[in-house]
Amino acid sequence: MTPNPLKRVLMLGNEAIARGALEGGISYATGYPGNPSSEILETLFKWSDAHDVAVEWSVNEIVALEAAAAFAFSGRRAVVTMKQNGLNVAADFLTTVSLDELPGGLLVVVCDDPGPLTSSNEQDSRHFARIAQIPLLEPSTPQEAKDMAVYGLEISQRFGLPCMLRAVSRLSHGRGPVSLGPVASKGPQPRFDRDRPKVGLPFLVTRNHARLLRLREEIRAEFEASPWNGYTGPEGVSTLVVASGLSATYGLEAIQTLDLGDRVGLLKLGTTWPLPRERILERVGRADTVCFLEEVDPFVEEGVKVVCAENGDRAGRIRFLGKNDGFVAGPDGPGVGEMNTDTALSALGRLFDPAPVQGEPLPEDLLARARDLLVPRELSFCQGCPHRASFYALKTALELDGRDGFLVGDIGCYGMAAGTTGFQQIKALHCMGSGMGNACGFSRLKEFGFDQPVVAVAGDSTFFHAGLPALANAVHHNADAVFVILDNAVTAMTGFQVNPATPAAVSHGKRELRIENAARGLGAEAVVLDPVADVNAAVEAVLQAVETGGVHVLVFRHGCATFFQKRADRSARPRVWVDAETCLGDQCGCNRFCSRILSCPAILFDPETGVARIDEQVCTGCGLCVQVCPREAILLERSEDGNP
Amino acid sequence: MGIKGSRELVQNVLQAGMCIGCGACVELCPYFRHYKGRTLQVFPCDLESGRCFAFCPKIEVDLDALSRRLRGCAYEGLDLGVYRSIRAARAGAALPKASFQGGGTVSALMAFALGSGVTDAAVLTDREGAWPLPRIVTDAQDVLACASSKFTAAPTLQALNRAVRLGHQRLGMVGTPCQVTAAAQMKGGLASQEDFRDPVALTVGLFCNWALDPRALNAFLGERVDLDRVTGMDIPPPPAEVLVVRLGEESREISLQEVRPLIPETCRLCPDLTSEWADLSVGMFEGRPGWNTLIVRTDRGGDLVRAAEEAGYLELEPMPEENTAHLAEAGRTKKERAFRTALRENAVNRENGCSVLRLPAEVVDRLT
Ligand SMILES: Cc1cc2nc3c(=O)[nH]c(=O)nc-3n(C[C@H](O)[C@H](O)[C@H](O)COP(=O)(O)OP(=O)(O)OC[C@H]3O[C@@H](n4cnc5c(N)ncnc54)[C@H](O)[C@@H]3O)c2cc1C
Ligand code: SF4
Ligand code: SF4
Repeated sequence: MTPNPLKRVLMLGNEAIARGALEGGISYATGYPGNPSSEILETLFKWSDAHDVAVEWSVNEIVALEAAAAFAFSGRRAVVTMKQNGLNVAADFLTTVSLDELPGGLLVVVCDDPGPLTSSNEQDSRHFARIAQIPLLEPSTPQEAKDMAVYGLEISQRFGLPCMLRAVSRLSHGRGPVSLGPVASKGPQPRFDRDRPKVGLPFLVTRNHARLLRLREEIRAEFEASPWNGYTGPEGVSTLVVASGLSATYGLEAIQTLDLGDRVGLLKLGTTWPLPRERILERVGRADTVCFLEEVDPFVEEGVKVVCAENGDRAGRIRFLGKNDGFVAGPDGPGVGEMNTDTALSALGRLFDPAPVQGEPLPEDLLARARDLLVPRELSFCQGCPHRASFYALKTALELDGRDGFLVGDIGCYGMAAGTTGFQQIKALHCMGSGMGNACGFSRLKEFGFDQPVVAVAGDSTFFHAGLPALANAVHHNADAVFVILDNAVTAMTGFQVNPATPAAVSHGKRELRIENAARGLGAEAVVLDPVADVNAAVEAVLQAVETGGVHVLVFRHGCATFFQKRADRSARPRVWVDAETCLGDQCGCNRFCSRILSCPAILFDPETGVARIDEQVCTGCGLCVQVCPREAILLERSEDGNP
Repeated sequence: MGIKGSRELVQNVLQAGMCIGCGACVELCPYFRHYKGRTLQVFPCDLESGRCFAFCPKIEVDLDALSRRLRGCAYEGLDLGVYRSIRAARAGAALPKASFQGGGTVSALMAFALGSGVTDAAVLTDREGAWPLPRIVTDAQDVLACASSKFTAAPTLQALNRAVRLGHQRLGMVGTPCQVTAAAQMKGGLASQEDFRDPVALTVGLFCNWALDPRALNAFLGERVDLDRVTGMDIPPPPAEVLVVRLGEESREISLQEVRPLIPETCRLCPDLTSEWADLSVGMFEGRPGWNTLIVRTDRGGDLVRAAEEAGYLELEPMPEENTAHLAEAGRTKKERAFRTALRENAVNRENGCSVLRLPAEVVDRLT
């Protein structure tokens, strides 16, 4: 579907960014999936044919950024998308490519996940714009998101350095009306000029750095006049709210709700690096109280304070209220969690009335009805999820081994194994591939008397994203390390994106790489098992691996249940049911092992009959419960033509 | 105190270092497993009362109740338990020779019981290197393959539970006193199981002062010999003071001094030298190589011995008075030590919480 140009449509913030990139004339879009950024590329995939844009997922964020830079080197425009954690991966390239002189345009879109729904930190990406000294744009609505994407590509090309667009989850995933514009042309035939300026050579760095700082001042001058920055409110009021990005809409809403429209002005900043110094001084200089609303860190707050300190005569005496003094704080404290209207209300309310404002409480009957709608449900692997079998096997093996072994993991659906659904097995999870790197160090710790077995788990996508260097490191150092790669064929957690481990049939002809081949190529022992098909074999393999030295790669291969079940023919699913006569239920000898321990959403326990029951609507027919039932009371029948 | 569940078992036995790894709680359910000498609960179970607790010989062992149920009398703390007779015994000519530990009495009894239909399968303990390996056997050939003592604790009763699940109804079992105690507690079943039938038709107990921790022994031996080559072990009678490890034709002697630290703590609380709850108990005959000491405790034990002798499976001789006295003294020494240790560790007749042992207070008083 191609949105009809020059129309107003309702769009997700992320769709709007995608549209902006398209209108901005990109030839290439890439990135690595991660909430809340994934929909940008997903949307561009849909438009890629009609608009002749090359769209692809890269193995990780730095590769994505480097690939996109090739377009900018050659006079074309490109967009790269990632979440905040991904920017750390890409940062090495970002902080050097900003020293370059790009003939094309390069827009780096970073979606932050404050108060994380699906992230292992809530870092504020904006700092990287300052580190790399590149322009930073913060949209406050889907419309702005689209328009800033167009503008970001344009200034990137005009100034010859990358531009960063920073969204936050509520913007990325919120909807709003967007007026579409025309799609720009892609530019001339791409060509790499072999005489273009060289960068990166140490003796050229200072020169290029100086040039970059000069550019920063040119960009600042442009931002002084930018329509993305603006003041709302009466002249002559002494209280000013300075807000950036989406926080500006929270600020406006709070001012309206508290009926402070005639007493408070709001300076909205959309270009937050480099800060528009004059625009700030113009407004701040007239106020005696300045309150900051932004998400997550006091980035603008500190920038404004520096501007004021450097221009004391114009700024005058100001009472600053923000995160550093703790005045602007959500329920978890200043600078923690999401910014929202409640936090803005609380701050502005206290400013004018020391008794804190209470939002109108929701009527109790409404709350009760809402509670009724909630299904009590634990955070759990999906029905048929291969991770359930994998962690069942891993837990069993480590318990049998009995030397207080543990798992270190990283980011993916399987991270849930830190909770009950994965039997609380993962004891450390930080960033992509971190468990595999940790395992290298735990191996070396043995010299110091460390004697606990360690198993590092990583997903298929993670293996290619960040696991390969750790594996090479382990092999190179003759480590004793066990790596279990949970290969479910897609990048499931972020929405089933394809990755190098995805079968070609699913990825439409991309070449499939086998993890075991990569591992063997690097000199590790590698075996492939399907824990869903034979959970005991997986237990054996893990036990054997932790009992013998060397580097072991165990590839647990079974496709993501949710992804493949969606595509499969329902009637081909095996039928699984419980023989009520044989089932022991909650008696000694079982005590609801299947329903209580496996926590598969398809297994129920009927307290009335005292036996287990399989919800055949939900069951995927994976057969794990069949293997673990102590009474062989769960039966599985394969349909005639299909196998699971 | 009564029969509690696995939470109490895990806390008071497994986590308290009291588990001997007999296997009585294993293969009853998906929760308990035994792996390389260690019993563990893989997943938590929240039942208030269970067979694991009921069967375990290391928690709430009510010696008086056992004595009344199995022997029809109160528990008096007799040196060698209640018995009918003590004889010298060895395997008869009807049994092919094998690498028996002593006279092969145990192997002869088990082979004869299987052959004559007294039992339909036997639960024995084979070896795999220096690891004990429980087995369910159904013929004399396999009985002989399991001959000789493995001087480690063994999860033999795991195989018993498996055999019951497989449908065997007249099982024979050979075990150390703790295993025999567990098997005796199994005869009680669980109150909740109305249809309970005792599937064990014959228990032959071994004498035992202590067993070694299999994990500790493997680690210890692994540093001294090639574990895959271990074919047998022997503890020759005093004053030898050595553990002999047989490696095919060769053998290595290791001072008992070095081996004693591998005895699990839990053995020090064990009051039973001669498997008092078995039908028949068998140990070495000190001073007479190639012979065993045989204690007959029950009618069915006595019947089997008589029939086995008639069939040429067993040779019997009277037991000299002074040997019996010597054995009794050893039995008393072990009891006194166990009760003293149990008292010191608040592990006997506790009012609150779980005890290891329960028995009439006057017996404790008399023996400590
Ligand atoms: C740990 C241990 C400690 C012992 N301590 C003493 C002692 O202090 N004094 C003494 O007189 N005798 C002791 N014995 C008994 C002795 O070693 C002989 O087993 C006994 O005399 C029977 O000899 P046999 O020739 O009839 O046995 P065999 O005919 O050789 O048969 C031996 C039987 O013992 C079973 N068995 C072997 N190892 C184990 C085990 N670890 N757990 C359970 N069953 C096993 C086998 O299944 C086999 O059926 C001990 C045995 C063990 C296993
Ligand atoms: S595991 Fe088997 S016996 Fe236990 S409740 Fe489930 S179906 Fe019944
Ligand atoms: S029954 Fe045996 S194996 Fe189980 S806890 Fe008790 S002593 Fe240990």
